[in-house]
Amino acid sequence: MGEILSTHLPSLLIGQYPNGPLGGLALTLILSVLGLGLAFPLGIGLALCRIAPYAVLRVPSTIVVYVVRGVPLVMLVFWSYFLVPTLIGQAVSAFTTLVVTLVIYQAAYMSEIVRAGIESLPRGQTEAARSLGMSYGRTMRSILLPQALYNMLPSLISQFVSTIKETSIGYVISVHELTYSAGQVNSALLTKPLQVFATLSLIYFVVCFALTRCAHAVDGRITRRRAGVTPLVESKVHDPVLQG
Amino acid sequence: MIRFSKVNKWYGKYHALVDISQDVGKGEVVVVCGPSGSGKSTLIRTVNRLEEIQDGQITLNGTQVHDKSLDLNQFRTKVGFVFQQFNLFPHMSAIENVCLAPTKVAGRSRNEALERGMALLERVGLAHKASSYPQQLSGGQQQRVAIARALAMEPPVMLFDEPTSALDPEMVGEVLNVMKSLARDGMTMMCVTHEMNFAREVADKVWFMDHGQLVETGTPAAFFSNPTSDRARRFLSDLRSH
Repeated sequence: MGEILSTHLPSLLIGQYPNGPLGGLALTLILSVLGLGLAFPLGIGLALCRIAPYAVLRVPSTIVVYVVRGVPLVMLVFWSYFLVPTLIGQAVSAFTTLVVTLVIYQAAYMSEIVRAGIESLPRGQTEAARSLGMSYGRTMRSILLPQALYNMLPSLISQFVSTIKETSIGYVISVHELTYSAGQVNSALLTKPLQVFATLSLIYFVVCFALTRCAHAVDGRITRRRAGVTPLVESKVHDPVLQG
Repeated sequence: MIRFSKVNKWYGKYHALVDISQDVGKGEVVVVCGPSGSGKSTLIRTVNRLEEIQDGQITLNGTQVHDKSLDLNQFRTKVGFVFQQFNLFPHMSAIENVCLAPTKVAGRSRNEALERGMALLERVGLAHKASSYPQQLSGGQQQRVAIARALAMEPPVMLFDEPTSALDPEMVGEVLNVMKSLARDGMTMMCVTHEMNFAREVADKVWFMDHGQLVETGTPAAFFSNPTSDRARRFLSDLRSH
């Protein structure tokens, strides 16, 4: 494993770059960030459509979510890889295909997380906001979404982690991400598949584990800030209503 | 100020409000009481249209509350509503809760809203808790912040839906004190509450409801010493037997 790491680590991390296309872990991370960065707003949009008071928005978004969630990711990748070029009549790069597929796939899952987050908030939150004269949209933006997204942070992070792992599906349409790079290293070495793929797993694990830990740290910080420590001086002594 | 005329509401087949007709005058404090399930909360929630009605009219300062063409968001800024469960926004500090509507709905500047917000927190005795989050406050303090929040748009009417029912007994007094001072300042108020001492001391009128009907109305003195309906007499003797 040491030998693999010393000679082939660069190709696992950045692919052929700078002598060829960027690949390896770098491309995996780019795919993940792009995928999630685009899926996040789309997922929120889908979630809002799913709970919208208008059937015009609710019905199609529900269908999209159910269909996407009911099909394996690899099928979606194949469909977009073979069908989209036929439909639009021109070639689409494997990279674009993968990003778009990941975005649609992740958005469907994320929308369910966001929707659950919104629907699990007490009704009183909406009633209080509306009673203050806030519109539906304003209530959603200022009151419901911030709480829902915060409450759902652990689920959203695990979704991000799973996006990182799911970029490995790019292997089947020859996107030069981490798994593809490992495949190439394996072909070059021929005799050490166990070591190569153990290294591959280790890299995925390290990245995902580090991210999960960061998420926990962020989560803990917000929780502490909200729970707060009340200084002693703010005791009831200074409370004029209680005194009165 | 508030006029109910022939108000009827059904939940499916259940007749929740039956032919309610009554007025709340300007500056009047009305306490709505009655057994649970009698429609008190439903009635008060129809005033800012948290509940729709199927028949009749409610007018507030001449505005038809249940008119479909009413600008509901604009209308609601003129009615303060205080909930049993406080419903503070947990992701905002006390002062942010109070300043939210003035900045986001009325479009006031942040500084102006902060200044008024602090004055309101001062009024409910919680200026020193301005930067605390709801979880850091006791139930009584949360409810006082909620009252300050409802006052932030300077509504001419305040509605209280069992404001002390979710509180530990020792915190009831601080919330009632704030409500009493509001009443003294001439605020028009409608309060659903089981605090009969508050009704006796502060209310101008007591409305007694049962089974969706407004059974009896009168001054607290008359209602408590000499209720005219059987149902109210039984309700009051049940209260006293505790």
